[in-house]
Amino acid sequence: MKELLNELLMEDKTLIHVPFGNGFFDIYTSVVVTWIIMAVVIVLVLVLTSNLKVHNISRRQAALESAVIWLRGAVGSMLGEEAAAYTDYIVTVLVFIALSNMVGLFGFTPPTMDLNVTLALSIMSIVLVEAAGIITKGTKGWLKSFAQPMAAIAFMNVLELLIRPLSLCMRLFGNILGATVIMELAKSVVPVLFPAALSLYFDLFDGAIQAYVFCFLTSLYIKEAVE
Amino acid sequence: MLNISIFNIVCTILNLLILYWVFRKFLFGRVDAILERRREEVDDANKAADKAIEEARATKKEYEEKISLADEEKQQILADIKKQGYDEYDRIIADAQKKSQEIITEARHNAETEADRTREIYAAELKEMVIDAATKIAATKHSSAEDSNLYDKFIDEAVANKNG
Repeated sequence: MKELLNELLMEDKTLIHVPFGNGFFDIYTSVVVTWIIMAVVIVLVLVLTSNLKVHNISRRQAALESAVIWLRGAVGSMLGEEAAAYTDYIVTVLVFIALSNMVGLFGFTPPTMDLNVTLALSIMSIVLVEAAGIITKGTKGWLKSFAQPMAAIAFMNVLELLIRPLSLCMRLFGNILGATVIMELAKSVVPVLFPAALSLYFDLFDGAIQAYVFCFLTSLYIKEAVE
Repeated sequence: MLNISIFNIVCTILNLLILYWVFRKFLFGRVDAILERRREEVDDANKAADKAIEEARATKKEYEEKISLADEEKQQILADIKKQGYDEYDRIIADAQKKSQEIITEARHNAETEADRTREIYAAELKEMVIDAATKIAATKHSSAEDSNLYDKFIDEAVANKNG
């Protein structure tokens, strides 16, 4: 058990070692896996969106269109009308996190199991949330919004700037790490069949749920910021 | 696993931004363009349909006007024909009245002529009788009583003649 955790948590994440910068520029496995995911997604998007037609559409295009409309509808309803401009980014994050969580199915380490990736995602989220607030209310209005609903809790509101991304980051990281730990344990206890069923739950279902939760919370924050 | 590398965080952020750009430019951009074009086509088709309906309505109105005009014309023609019929009727009646008047006049004239003729015949007969009587009286010598008898006889004969 302890060795397992040690193995998971303390393993050397460096995949590409850069000879200068004293390890600062070392590229982690998570980033490389992200590149792989990105490459696959970009190729897929380019292939799927090539040769789109207005009439007599192929099944491929029909599926693509309904998927895009569905994703946008789902995210758009979370964001509300005022923040509809941020739909595209949230959809991108949703797809990215979902795929990152599920990439374990293909034998890769999920990038979201690396704190750096979830940290990057949550930093992006909080920057977007505050930027949305500034764009909508103006810098003055945004600063004033910290004293809402009363000046006494301004400190809490400022603290939220840190708590929100931290909770986003840690929730995603913890869930995926926990899932992987349970998977590893299950594999060492029952090596056949059982891990496959668990993998179905943790990799697919939980992966999708965590992606949804992350996007839902970010959407909620943005919605709150633009109100 | 828990150590934090700023460089890798930056890398991930860049990755996200690149992915976002690709999604925006290719996935959403292309799909949106298609959806937009389709929407425009539907709008155009709707507009064309609306226009066609409008035109059809205008044509219908025009025809209805034409039909109502034809109705009026029909009424006019019917009225004209009726008037002509009445005129003809009046003319015929007037003709008939005129003719009957003529016939009556002629008949009256004929009757008068006939009466005149009859009267002439009577007069002639009377004349003959008077001459006859006068001759008879002149031929014989008579007493005044006989003359009186003769006159009575003559008058009786004349009356009988007239009645007979």
